[in-house]
Amino acid sequence: MRRPGFRSLAGGAAGIAAGVIGGVVLASASTAGPTPVAAGPPLIDATHVPPVLTVRGEPVRLRYGLVCTPRGDGLPCDGSGTVYLRAGQTGRFHAYPLERGEESKDGRYFLDVPAIFASSPGGFSYYAVLRDEATGATVSIPAGGEGAPQVSRPLRDPVTLDLGRHVFGETRAPNGRAAHARWGSSADEVGLAGSRELGFTGPSSFDVEPDGTVDLLDSVNGRIQRSSHGRHAVVTIGRTAELADLAAEPNGSFDVLDAQDTLRRYRADGSEQWAQKLAERTWARLDRGSEVLQEPSEQWMPLAETDRPLARAEQRRAAHFDHHALLVDRVGEGELRVAQLRGNTLARSWRITSDTPLGEVQLAEPHGNDVVVVTHPYTDDRDEFVVLVLGDRGLTERFAVASGSWTETAPLARFRLARGGLYRLSTTPAGAYVDRFDLEVPQ
Amino acid sequence: MRAFVAMLGIGLTLSAVSGAQAYHRFWAICNYDAPTFMTTMTRDAAQDYANAARYEGYQWGGGCWNYDDADFYPNDPPEQVGTHGEGGDCSGLTFKTWRESTDDWRDGRYYWRALRNVHGPYTAADFRTGYGAPNHTVAKSTAGVMDAFASNTHIGMVFIRSLYGGDQIVEAKCESCGTNIFYRTYRSDSAYGGVGRWGWTG
Repeated sequence: MRRPGFRSLAGGAAGIAAGVIGGVVLASASTAGPTPVAAGPPLIDATHVPPVLTVRGEPVRLRYGLVCTPRGDGLPCDGSGTVYLRAGQTGRFHAYPLERGEESKDGRYFLDVPAIFASSPGGFSYYAVLRDEATGATVSIPAGGEGAPQVSRPLRDPVTLDLGRHVFGETRAPNGRAAHARWGSSADEVGLAGSRELGFTGPSSFDVEPDGTVDLLDSVNGRIQRSSHGRHAVVTIGRTAELADLAAEPNGSFDVLDAQDTLRRYRADGSEQWAQKLAERTWARLDRGSEVLQEPSEQWMPLAETDRPLARAEQRRAAHFDHHALLVDRVGEGELRVAQLRGNTLARSWRITSDTPLGEVQLAEPHGNDVVVVTHPYTDDRDEFVVLVLGDRGLTERFAVASGSWTETAPLARFRLARGGLYRLSTTPAGAYVDRFDLEVPQ
Repeated sequence: MRAFVAMLGIGLTLSAVSGAQAYHRFWAICNYDAPTFMTTMTRDAAQDYANAARYEGYQWGGGCWNYDDADFYPNDPPEQVGTHGEGGDCSGLTFKTWRESTDDWRDGRYYWRALRNVHGPYTAADFRTGYGAPNHTVAKSTAGVMDAFASNTHIGMVFIRSLYGGDQIVEAKCESCGTNIFYRTYRSDSAYGGVGRWGWTG
């Protein structure tokens, strides 16, 4: 081996120096990217929980929260607002200023609805415009304004049901298992991600086709696993879909609504047909027909018309409160109000109370002449689902179902009603399951 | 010349190694300013603060973001403080929104600017038990605006209750989903408990 000469040593040293300096310069250029503070348009948003179903004689107070750019002094927005009200769902709106209260726990801005509207037999419709006085920014809620206002209807002779105190541990076993998969990535397995520190996610949603095929959104592996009579097929959608919701459309395509508020339509072979952003910032549930329950408007909005995606303004204009011709309102800690429409008329309604707090309504859909509701009684350390089948005279059927979720799913994606049965998605450390609960044959 | 070229490559490699240690260096534009002590703290001002952190990303162990509505370094590998990306994690976002002190025995109100890099002393599990002078547990059924639901692995604050009985939750959720307002059913999930902050003034 030859000893290196002076020129080689000098060249090597210069090379190292140039390399290190060059690398540092490149790294500096890459870290120069983040902007310290952006001076974008003023933030403005609003919150409101609409009193969709009221009880006759009940005072109605509309409450709003105003959310704007954080102030340097740490104080809340200096806001104001106007509510536009009308009796029923046609005619001219009347303007009423919002009052600004001292407390913001339920919304700082409020209006006690005048009796002429609150006691109207057909209820009332309304929208509000809130303003941040510091920036002049305004926000309408619902976003569709007078073109798609919020609606409040009085219950008319509702069937009253008292569920009493929920007895935990008396759950019904399923009638059958429609699909199951172990954790993994092969064709008959379903993906699991996360850790003990972060929590686990697995299949985030599912649907059941008219022929009984169960479609499981394998969010981690970026695919839909289709199960029918023990056979598995996989439709690859080419992207992960953590905590996304799924709906199988009648024409064989799939809708996937992701955590970035984008609905993607996939053809039956998994190729993407289109993608469309939601009109609003938050979603609760995706259903067939590309219908999405969106917040803060708290309205169902279609994202497609036949095979064409709807722009955000079109979604807002087409917003509506009823879904499957049902209105749902979870009130207070343990009350649930449900009403069924026939055309635009309130055909029948139910006022359900519970001594055990009720969480979310996972599902509310017609079942023949009955209505199936799945809600979620809970205490601070226990929870189960309860299935209520509502008929003309009261409860046709009632049973409890174990919550059985080891992984997190999309929020209202635990149950689907199909083929005369109720299907539940559950997970354990061993895998994911879709079980079927038979319901009594409706009249 | 051959020696120069060979050593140039080694030099670039060495600089890349040091870059990997610092990773993204979003934290280089963050600061360590003292918080502003405040006598008031309203729930809607807390909504303003948390809402402004939406779209700014998620960083495990982090607590620093700007207001450009974008995560400068999305999809980092999870559970690594060393990635130094933009955004808070769930407990960091809650700590800053709730204007808490880095000393767990203080229950005063301390306003931290967005670019102040601070996570605070609490994990999600700490919040869940009500650990720390400013924190306490609440019955889940009574949790309202800017109270929170915490499990042993996560915490999210109630932005507003929702029509179907779930909640709109503002939370730093994960690297791929960032910080945003999501519809969640933590209220009825027995893995989660209700948590509150003492000292709201309106």
